[in-house]
Amino acid sequence: MITRLLSAALVAGFLASVVATGLQLALTSPLILQAETYEGEGAHAALAPSPDAPFASLIVPAHAHSHGDGGHDHGKPDEWQPAPGLQRMAFTGLATLVGGVGYALLLAAVMLALRREPTPQSGLVVGVAGFLAVALAPAIGLPPELPGMGAAPLVLRQSWWLMTVIATGLGLYLIAVRRVPLTILGGLVLIVAPHLAGAPQSIDTVSSQVPPAAAAQFAARSLAIGFVFWAVIGLAYGWAWGLFGRTAGARAHA
Amino acid sequence: MTTATLQTQAATARSAEGARALIVAAFLGLGLVFVAGFAPATVLHNAAHDFRHAQNFPCH
Repeated sequence: MITRLLSAALVAGFLASVVATGLQLALTSPLILQAETYEGEGAHAALAPSPDAPFASLIVPAHAHSHGDGGHDHGKPDEWQPAPGLQRMAFTGLATLVGGVGYALLLAAVMLALRREPTPQSGLVVGVAGFLAVALAPAIGLPPELPGMGAAPLVLRQSWWLMTVIATGLGLYLIAVRRVPLTILGGLVLIVAPHLAGAPQSIDTVSSQVPPAAAAQFAARSLAIGFVFWAVIGLAYGWAWGLFGRTAGARAHA
Repeated sequence: MTTATLQTQAATARSAEGARALIVAAFLGLGLVFVAGFAPATVLHNAAHDFRHAQNFPCH
């Protein structure tokens, strides 16, 4: 069973990441590159490390310094980053593959915990739930950002993101799986609570040079890609689960 | 051994295997998503940068 699950998750993650990488390179990466040209204009100060804080970058996560000035540290010469062009695209694809397989494994774990036999249909249902919990719900408070737009400290935004994903996932479970009035009420409360608590203010509307039109386009495209990513993961996981079940069954009968 | 006990044993083995599969999948999945979306190491961040932005992981 473990082999079947891992194989199906690998196949699903691979297929979904091929689709999502194509969409990212076509739709979101050009906007990211465009935003980085604006980001460069305000960030000259950030490129020269300040002498009084030489170790700051060792303690603070990669981008902590960039809140105030909208700056960005892609220009630091001592930090590896993929070369522009093909290498950067390849690493985007690789990261999408790692993330896609990770999401597929989590989807597999959820389906197993819910005792749902994976089929393309049931996989799609869980995939859409994954999109709602992991992509759409956090995006309500923290809309997808282009480089140079972030304002609140990274750790705060990451915690709110994680909290919202967990609360929304639990809420969807209580509403869609448990399905009695009390749990539906509890589920609604869980889904709404992170938004009532409020996301850390994330968009720097004052000093950001990124054109609003590009930012709006990016947010919409990012969510669309997220939907396709999750839908393909769910569909492909259900399909691959059946596929590996059949081949295992055939071997057992031979 | 009766058929019933054999069936019970088979069911127990299946559910134990299911629990193991669940744990393996959850840990591997969380680990991979963490590496792709959250890991603070600059090298990982830079490599996964465009993916993190596109998938709306908090970044920068």
